Amino acid sequence: MLRDYPVPLVLALLLHVGAGLALVRGWTPENDDALVIRPDIVSARLIVLEPPKPKATRRLPAPQPAAAPAPPKQAAPEPAPPKVDPAERERQQREAERAREEAARRERLEKLAETAFKDALDREGIELASNAQTDAALSYVAGIYQAVVRNWSRPPSARNDMQAELLVELIPTGEVVSVTLVSSSGNAAFDRSAEAAVRKTRRFQVPEDIGLFEARFRQFTLLFKPEDLLR
Amino acid sequence: MPEQLSIYEILVNASPLVQFVMVILALASVISWMMIFQRWFALNRVRRQMDDFEEEFWSGVDLRELYGELEEEEHLNGSETVFQSGFREFLRLSEQAGADPDAVMQGVQRAMRVALTREEESLERHLAFLATVGSTSPYVGLFGTVWGIMNAFRNLANMSQATLASVAPGISEALIATAMGLFAAIPAVIGYNRFSARVEVLMKRYEAFADELTSILYRASHQT
Repeated sequence: MLRDYPVPLVLALLLHVGAGLALVRGWTPENDDALVIRPDIVSARLIVLEPPKPKATRRLPAPQPAAAPAPPKQAAPEPAPPKVDPAERERQQREAERAREEAARRERLEKLAETAFKDALDREGIELASNAQTDAALSYVAGIYQAVVRNWSRPPSARNDMQAELLVELIPTGEVVSVTLVSSSGNAAFDRSAEAAVRKTRRFQVPEDIGLFEARFRQFTLLFKPEDLLR
Repeated sequence: MPEQLSIYEILVNASPLVQFVMVILALASVISWMMIFQRWFALNRVRRQMDDFEEEFWSGVDLRELYGELEEEEHLNGSETVFQSGFREFLRLSEQAGADPDAVMQGVQRAMRVALTREEESLERHLAFLATVGSTSPYVGLFGTVWGIMNAFRNLANMSQATLASVAPGISEALIATAMGLFAAIPAVIGYNRFSARVEVLMKRYEAFADELTSILYRASHQT
């Protein structure tokens, strides 16, 4: 296994050396020149923002105010902020806009995921024996569905038209007491995978309400149908 | 006249602690990239081998023959190990006189489960490291940054005439630490997520294969 490492190590080192070189080379003073060329816009904005400081407009002919005895201390720190301010503000605006877009997009995605989940629930349904299902029961059904699907690894021999029906018995804590095959799919591997999915789950989320549990979750049948397969 | 500082100068003049943080982060980044490449190659190889083996397995070859071939090979890959351990257990148990078929199948399943666990372990190797780098290196970088800025401001306090130029190099130096932390963390997190998803897919395939083999052996043991 040790022989696997030299090549990745060389690749990783090359990558970092490349990144380092690009960084050092890319750090050119051209950026600074570009900033200096823009003072017109910079000073114009500054006047709008802070009217009491008109001195800043005189920033370009810098040497002249420097000769005056009183203001040099102020003049020195002032030049810096105007360079940054407008660009900074613009960037913040852009960022805020991006954040808003991002939030909208996430909302859309969430909605999409929700509908997709519901579709999947309909398609690959777990059918509970009872007919009249309350909302509370439905949420537990969805939980059971998710738990089983998560643990279900279908064998490659599974086909779309197969279906296996299992009778599952729970105790009020939600633990599985027995799993019995009610009707077989005709494929032993498929049946076993379905059974294993239930057994692997070991414990389901069931309602605390004992009446609801007795009515719907003490015994229920699970129908396994791999309808989403392509073959 | 403020000069343009080169990155190199900033790094050399950085405070020792910040330099230490940077070295740690650079190491973490190099190692995590190494792990990423290594896992990448390894997982690709495992998938290829699995495809090959399954093709051979389903080509109608006699299982005893296949088992014999595998016994002679030195380096067995994932699905071969699963097959070998399951089949070996099957042969051993069914050779015993009056073996109960159900007991045989239980033994086979147990043996394959052990092999599967081993395989999972070897597939997931290094993933924990990637997860650690991904989650901690931003904090390490942040620590360097906070330390650097702290020093920059402390130096500022000692000056009679505070200018932006006197703090800027310190802050710039400090921010490099954060950048490096992120530089190390982002690929590690992406790599971790991607590889753990791939490991899961591979494990599903192993499990499916183990189930298939179980059903074949089940038929064989219950025939007589």
